[in-house]
Amino acid sequence: MTENTNYFEIPANLTIKKFISKLSKQVDLQIISQQYTIKTFYDSFDWRLYSANMLCEHKHSQKNSELRLVNNKTGQLLSSMETEQVPDFSQLFTDESFRQLLSPELQMRALLPLCHLSYEAYLINILNKDQKTILRLQVDEYELLNNRLQLLPLKGYEKAHQKIAQLLQDKFNLLPSASCTVLNEALKHQGRKPQDYSSKLSIKLKPEMRADKASQLIYKHLLHAIHINEAGTIDDTDSEFLHDFRVAVRRTRAGLSQIKNTLPAEIVAKYASFFAWLGQITGPTRDLDVYLLSYPNYKEVLPESLQDDIAPLYDFLMQKQQQAHNELAEKLKSPEYTKQLLEWETYLKQSLPKKGSTTEANQTIQELADLRIWKVYQRVLKEGGAIEAGSPPEALHDLRKTCKKLRYLMEFFQDLYPAQDIKRAIKSLKGFQAILGDFQDYEIQELSIKQFSEEMMANLVASNTLLAMGVLVQYLDVMKCKARNHFSEQFTLFVEAENKAMFTQLFKHKA
Amino acid sequence: MTIIATYNIKGGVGKTSTAVNLAFLAAQSNYKTLIWDLDPQGASSYYFRIKPKVKGGSKALIAGDRDLDGLIKATDFENLDLLPADFSFRNLDLVLDERKKPTQRLKKLLAPLSEEYDYIFLDCPPNISLLSEAIFEASDLLLSPIIPTTLSLRTLEQLKKHIKDNKLKNIQLLPFFSMADRRKKMHREIIESLAEQHPDILQSIIPYASDIERMGLERQPLGSYINKSRSVEAYQSLWQELLAF
Repeated sequence: MTENTNYFEIPANLTIKKFISKLSKQVDLQIISQQYTIKTFYDSFDWRLYSANMLCEHKHSQKNSELRLVNNKTGQLLSSMETEQVPDFSQLFTDESFRQLLSPELQMRALLPLCHLSYEAYLINILNKDQKTILRLQVDEYELLNNRLQLLPLKGYEKAHQKIAQLLQDKFNLLPSASCTVLNEALKHQGRKPQDYSSKLSIKLKPEMRADKASQLIYKHLLHAIHINEAGTIDDTDSEFLHDFRVAVRRTRAGLSQIKNTLPAEIVAKYASFFAWLGQITGPTRDLDVYLLSYPNYKEVLPESLQDDIAPLYDFLMQKQQQAHNELAEKLKSPEYTKQLLEWETYLKQSLPKKGSTTEANQTIQELADLRIWKVYQRVLKEGGAIEAGSPPEALHDLRKTCKKLRYLMEFFQDLYPAQDIKRAIKSLKGFQAILGDFQDYEIQELSIKQFSEEMMANLVASNTLLAMGVLVQYLDVMKCKARNHFSEQFTLFVEAENKAMFTQLFKHKA
Repeated sequence: MTIIATYNIKGGVGKTSTAVNLAFLAAQSNYKTLIWDLDPQGASSYYFRIKPKVKGGSKALIAGDRDLDGLIKATDFENLDLLPADFSFRNLDLVLDERKKPTQRLKKLLAPLSEEYDYIFLDCPPNISLLSEAIFEASDLLLSPIIPTTLSLRTLEQLKKHIKDNKLKNIQLLPFFSMADRRKKMHREIIESLAEQHPDILQSIIPYASDIERMGLERQPLGSYINKSRSVEAYQSLWQELLAF
């Protein structure tokens, strides 16, 4: 037995009543409280707290409502506060310790309820002969799960803790539980498991799989991501639902154009235009989300004397975002959207003919992946190599799009390559993409802020607000130029011999 | 971390009940609180039903052989821990005397606890000795209960002189009336005349009351067995006054 044996599962055949009665024959105990409690677990949609080994649970009983942040591995309490309502976002927490613990993990993601559990919670004190409490027991009698027992050791009474833990194992045949939480069991009841959603792609492919079958699998994966992010996008629960929705749409478009000729041409044509439309209708809201997410940074880069003057821009952006989002939500609720997406789903569910409709469809996915990645990689080298100091911004934008295609292809097919190697290759591309992304983002933001200032001028906004926006445009321009100047440095890094050899070794010889 | 010593040269003036009840109130206000029972009689340990025993006794403790944190016991109350007394504490003076810089010793021993606790109450034995010097060095506030009698006033004067003579600038002496019996004419008169002469005496007055005496029977702080009484209110008022320092 280890010293931190604190959690036990009580078998179904031992009721809490029986357990307490049996225990009272062994030790002097006192039931301090018994109350009906509802526990709700919270996390972001993409499990950010769970991934950071944190559990957020809200316990509500007649007496109190407590929100607790607990270390998922050790059960250690990180912070707790009394609250009836759980704020939606970390920055809305008034308790500083919660804000400090949650903000770095959740960032812009909303805190959402995962599942509810109801149980009868008993708090029991174990006493010594002086009637001093030497150990506390928390016994939870669940309606749906096996009952749980937690030992709450008291400082300076470690021996009592060990003695009781041993007693529970020897006389009650209780087994220490590996987990400090019932979250996994509770999720199982809902047919779920922790971390069952991630925006990262992980598609199980076999090298010898027929290319059309593999591409069907990839599209199914992406369609699932679209479906799962749809409700959060329509409700505007947080900005990342739309972000992930858009990424899935963009990946589907890249698939349709880059995994060439595996689907019939008329299908590709039909859905390429549908997904292009989806990309287009989701764009304005996403752009405004980006401005709103960048707003704290906008404020920070201004001289202190102008920082308060930029506030009207936030209100303006909020209003515009809500307007754009309402329009988007209408479109995503329209029969046109539902019908097309359902047709796409039905098409992907159809079983494939014994022989693929094209040569490419009959290839193995490994052959096709090698070929496509190598080809697009060559295109990146060519387009990147042609960019000089005086090249127009469009050249960088085109290169950015090509890089995205390469990235998506590598991510679709990562399962076909040695994990470490493909990870390294993606990482090298990521670093290079970042500078192209920055250049594009700063340019678009600069143009948009300029345009917004014109619109706001019509609303008779204060002159200092326009002044602040002017300073902001200047900052964005400086940052854009900085990104532009870094381009050749980053490109040189990306095309260095070692990187080239890695790409060649991974994709060329097979292609 | 604020260190508050409840101290008086005289015994039986309500030092322990003050330390215990204020520590309880601090813990109830969500402050992580420790009470260190430095009196070999172990009265505050007794109030919390904790055995007055320290492994290795005063020697090991003062030598720093044992981590202070490892000797601390949780009380039955949230946020409130106790460092128990030990009968060997009657020799603390002698043990301290064997050390270099004996008056700095307690301060040094308490330093590692500053992260863990917001308030530390030192329940001190009655006398002026090397131990009390070490307590004065370690404490931020010296809370001194005085019974409104002529003799008690003399000891207050003695204490003030001692602080002045020893140039103890970092400590703030906070006298307050304890065990005050309003039925006694002398108590009433002394309280009235002293409030004028010594404006540094705190406003709160702890009464002489049977519910405070019952602490010995209940073996718990006043607030845990009585919700509302004149004594409970008096300690609450004293705690509020202390928060201002």
